Amino acid sequence: MNNSRIEVTNKFQGHHLLGWTSEVRDVLKFNLERIEESKFYLLETDSKVEESISREVLSDPVLDIFEDKNWVNSKASFAVEVGFKPGVTDNLSKSVIDAFQLFEIESKISTGKIYWLFGKLDRVEAEQVSREILANPLLNSIKVMTTNEYLEKDRFSNSVLPVVKIEGAGEVQAVDLEMSDKELAALSIERCLALTTDELHEIKNFYKKEEVIQARSLAGLPNCPTDVELEVLAQTWSEHCKHKIFAANIEYKESVEPKYGPKLGSFKVDSLFKEYIKDTTEKIKKDRGLEWLISVFSDNAGIVRFDKNVDLCFKAETHNSPSALDPYGGALTGILGVNRDILGCGLGARPIANTDVFCFAPSNLGDHDHGKSLPVGPKPPRRTIEGVHKGVEDGGNKSGVPTVNGAFFFDNNYAGKPLVFCGTVGVMPQVLKDGRTTEGKGQKPGDRIYMVGGAIGADGIHGATFSSLELDENSPATAVQIGDPITQKRVMDFMMEARDRCLFTSVTDNGAGGLSSSVGEMAELPGGATVNLEKAPTKYPGLKPYELFISESQERMTFSVESSSASEFEKLALEYSVEATDIGEFTDSGSLDIFYGSELCAKIDLDFLHNGLPQMNLKSSWDGEIYKRDNWARVELPAAYNGVVNQSQMEEHLKNVLKRPTIASKEEYVRRFDHEVGGATHIKPFGGENGNAPNDSGVIWLGPHGGEMDNAVAIGCGIAPRISLYDTYLMAQFAVDEAFRNIVSSGADPEQVCLLDNFCWPDPIFHKDKNIDGDHKLAQLVRACKGLSDICEAYGSPLVSGKDSMKNDFRGKNGHGEDIKVSVLPTLLISAIGKLNINSSKQTALQKEGDQVFLLGGLGSGLLGSEFLETTQLEETTLPSIDLKKNFELYKNIHQGHIQKVFSSLHDVSEGGMAVSLSESCFGGDLGMSITLPDDSNPLEALFNETPGRFIVSVKKDETKRFKALFKEAILLGEVTSDSTLKIGFQDKKLIDISTESLKETWRTPIC
Amino acid sequence: MLGPKVLVLTGEGINCERETAFAFEKAGAVPSIQTLNEVIKNPAALREFDILAIPGGFSYGDEIGSGHVFSLKLKKHLGAEIKEFINDKKPIIGICNGFQVLVKLGLFDHSSDRQIGLAPNTSGAFMNKWSRVIPHEKNNCIWVKGLDKAFSLPVRHGEGRVVLKEDQVYSDLVERGQIVLSYESDINGSYKNIAGLCDETGLVFGLMPHPEADLFKATSPEGSENPLDFSVGYEIFKNSVNYSQSIQGKNL
Repeated sequence: MNNSRIEVTNKFQGHHLLGWTSEVRDVLKFNLERIEESKFYLLETDSKVEESISREVLSDPVLDIFEDKNWVNSKASFAVEVGFKPGVTDNLSKSVIDAFQLFEIESKISTGKIYWLFGKLDRVEAEQVSREILANPLLNSIKVMTTNEYLEKDRFSNSVLPVVKIEGAGEVQAVDLEMSDKELAALSIERCLALTTDELHEIKNFYKKEEVIQARSLAGLPNCPTDVELEVLAQTWSEHCKHKIFAANIEYKESVEPKYGPKLGSFKVDSLFKEYIKDTTEKIKKDRGLEWLISVFSDNAGIVRFDKNVDLCFKAETHNSPSALDPYGGALTGILGVNRDILGCGLGARPIANTDVFCFAPSNLGDHDHGKSLPVGPKPPRRTIEGVHKGVEDGGNKSGVPTVNGAFFFDNNYAGKPLVFCGTVGVMPQVLKDGRTTEGKGQKPGDRIYMVGGAIGADGIHGATFSSLELDENSPATAVQIGDPITQKRVMDFMMEARDRCLFTSVTDNGAGGLSSSVGEMAELPGGATVNLEKAPTKYPGLKPYELFISESQERMTFSVESSSASEFEKLALEYSVEATDIGEFTDSGSLDIFYGSELCAKIDLDFLHNGLPQMNLKSSWDGEIYKRDNWARVELPAAYNGVVNQSQMEEHLKNVLKRPTIASKEEYVRRFDHEVGGATHIKPFGGENGNAPNDSGVIWLGPHGGEMDNAVAIGCGIAPRISLYDTYLMAQFAVDEAFRNIVSSGADPEQVCLLDNFCWPDPIFHKDKNIDGDHKLAQLVRACKGLSDICEAYGSPLVSGKDSMKNDFRGKNGHGEDIKVSVLPTLLISAIGKLNINSSKQTALQKEGDQVFLLGGLGSGLLGSEFLETTQLEETTLPSIDLKKNFELYKNIHQGHIQKVFSSLHDVSEGGMAVSLSESCFGGDLGMSITLPDDSNPLEALFNETPGRFIVSVKKDETKRFKALFKEAILLGEVTSDSTLKIGFQDKKLIDISTESLKETWRTPIC
Repeated sequence: MLGPKVLVLTGEGINCERETAFAFEKAGAVPSIQTLNEVIKNPAALREFDILAIPGGFSYGDEIGSGHVFSLKLKKHLGAEIKEFINDKKPIIGICNGFQVLVKLGLFDHSSDRQIGLAPNTSGAFMNKWSRVIPHEKNNCIWVKGLDKAFSLPVRHGEGRVVLKEDQVYSDLVERGQIVLSYESDINGSYKNIAGLCDETGLVFGLMPHPEADLFKATSPEGSENPLDFSVGYEIFKNSVNYSQSIQGKNL
């Protein structure tokens, strides 16, 4: 073997280095002048590599400097070498290996970066910068040396690649569960099983059954579970996979009468999922006679028919725990993971749009004390925002899927776990060439099981069970992984072609639980499966059978393929540079039989695996709305409202609200997502002449995707976590209404809308030491589900898929060594898609001077839960209310308005209230507005309340008659002006008179 | 009469192959999407095509450099066939990642060592924004025939800054009519705002913006009353089809 090391410096250094430099200066207050970056490659090759070849493979003659041996960037003070720890995904190395193969050179490669730090900082400071900004110690090896030390080290003559050293191939253990409850609990923690002692008893008792003991003895298995079996059961029975809380039997009572939402009384729910979600959809389907619901709750994603030619599927997922520990990898694998849900839906759908919604702590949280007040373990907010954003960027852009809709929501309570929601819309033909309908799956006994895509490593072992636990400072690094979008893109291209050639009978993704979940789920239909684990390709040797089976290594799909198609399936895979491996066969044996070589290491009864989990019995108790916020890291409270209503005061209020991070422009972030790949993005995230006005929804035209030429789908989202402080029943409804408003505003038909629910909750299970208000949080969940169900019925809109994440808490230490617990606000993300005709869509930017400006949906009232109340304290105010019947009537009318083309522009009223909505409508160009508030209004409340069901619309003067016929209760606010100024008056007073440029500048205050 | 046959390359992370094929199809051509691996198996088959397109995307994840590994692979396995394709006066287009590949192949250089590169944008970041581009009055590119006024196209890249080894290269490019499109304003630090180049024959065209995402008014950022009307991007593909048909006419 020949080992060598090569270093390359790009002459055009990236802007991220400037950003990091100013952060080091501004936040850490170190004397850093600048950072420069070089790449290093460690090569282990079968023969000596000519320099001319290395040069051609690893550098560009115009862009790069191919460095000499033993060079250093001599004026730098420190060299920081950041490599990958053994086994961590290194995407660059994969492309380098491919490139060397073109020159008939087989290689192993490891890559990394050298950061050259310039300026007067000391070693301790350089180390801190490296650990906190340049690298993630969970994933990276970090060496900090002075430039001289680096030179003397002679790094070029001994280059050694990081190697994973584990030994355990073929090792299977029997796990005797005959132990005390205390020992069982310890076992669950030690093995990261996330099983309760009750559940472990259930397993123990099953293995004690006479017929089970006999059958196992015949098969040569012990009379207790093997580690493979126990791990498979733990994955399959995890909260993450089984949604135990949503399936639980729950007693609900109200210890205090709800103040804002309805009184629900005392009752029992057999399963929140069944009663409030599934049954709601069934009822809506029946009542409305919906024929466009093709598949709901039975597959990886919901499938609907909004088009004559194609079907759509829709799914959103969260990736919160991994994103807390490694924001980039967590978010990247989040977006790639939800893409796989779509790929694995029915017989395979093509992802055509991504959405992303993030809940973060504000970037400056913890700045006042250098992060000492922040939890130790999760990355601090600034790193989280930056990393998550980059992860979604790479995940979407490199997969060729446009990111068209999303939101950022900020609150201190997301500092323990950020919430990272990733959604995907997919498109599939309704029928395949051989006549099979695409929505169904058809694996049968005798079909081969193929694992397709990436190889298996130790990364991502215990992801499903890990996410079912709260975070602490010792959370396992193996749960974190980095995705490889290009490997997945190849799989995607391959499987679309394989689907169209009818080469497989079924497919599903490998997500949480890896093969154990995908094969375990697929085995249900044929009634069994046999897997030969030793055949599965691995990243390195030494993995134990249970690790092979539950690893969540990314970019993998599982297929069932008829034997007669197997060779064509494999041939096609080669053409797409995709690894496809036959790892077993579907059977009708009734069990999941796992072999490693000739050794049977698991035989799991499928019925017990899927139906053996006992239902939980839980109690919940509504203890009232919470006035006092859990503002654990709040440094200063906002100023008290001084009651003054004059121009300077109102202008200041508006500016304070506009620069709130939840409201401030995200254009800089959003434009780094490719939102148009596919060539079908009809409404983009930002519109207007200058491309600065935020649109309400993303719209994907279906024509280029095989749909009808004038057909499209609008994609929106709604989220209202702060309303959870008052009543989660209303929080759920506010979220649904916002998602609806988003897409209706752009032109979607409100009668052809379907929804996704993604619940992210703080732990709702009572524990006398760790979670004393668990009962209340569970009651909040019950109320949210009831609120959701009620609004879905009122809007006639079915829920087609959903997910929940139930342990969004951090319990551990902060930088001062103090115990802290940080729990997320009870959060429900609603994602909506609706059918839209591209001939009748509209955007938010004002169009023409002289257009009349109206408010639809009334003035609203109540400032509780508003962004305004985060900037100013106000003693007496109420919570906005929601009128479901009125809102839905309005949405139907708006759709009529779109069809009749009466609008010039529409923008819904959301965070920040009407004042923000009016401002944003002006940001698309040079136009302004002159507005007069109704005489009987309270200006402060009118401008900043966030009551749902409202829109700002502009209408051509000569359309006002037709407009008024549709909207009798529209409030005329004023008109569009040519003077680039937003003027708002009340009675005879001027309240706001600011140039739109100045407002826009405030609104563009960086969020990070 | 069947339209010209277009080979649209894909695989390894290319991701605009479908809309590129859609564009050619709308313009009257007969596109065929094939993976690079498939084409490599029988390089001579390239002769059967009239137009070659390398679409946008992230081939090999943009690792090492955008378009880098894809261009190495093309050069290694199809270098001779591509030369022949050019000698046969058949049009080639490289869009975004495809442009990066063509630049790395040296197709726009006049000398054997490379003078032109595509570096990371000055912002250091990927960006997606519609930008105004101006056709250069002295260009000899068949792909933009008839386009003489500024128009908007979506730009979606992280490494689109044209850099030249020496300033002299620019005047040579102008001289030979190789500068095809320039941005109306500086969006990524590109040398003299260059957005697209052609080779000396005017047949090999590379550009960073995405004309295949501007076929119809339906995807215009400002919206349109007639979304199914063709937009400017369509004209670019139509030009190549017209050219191929005129050549075929001559060959008959």
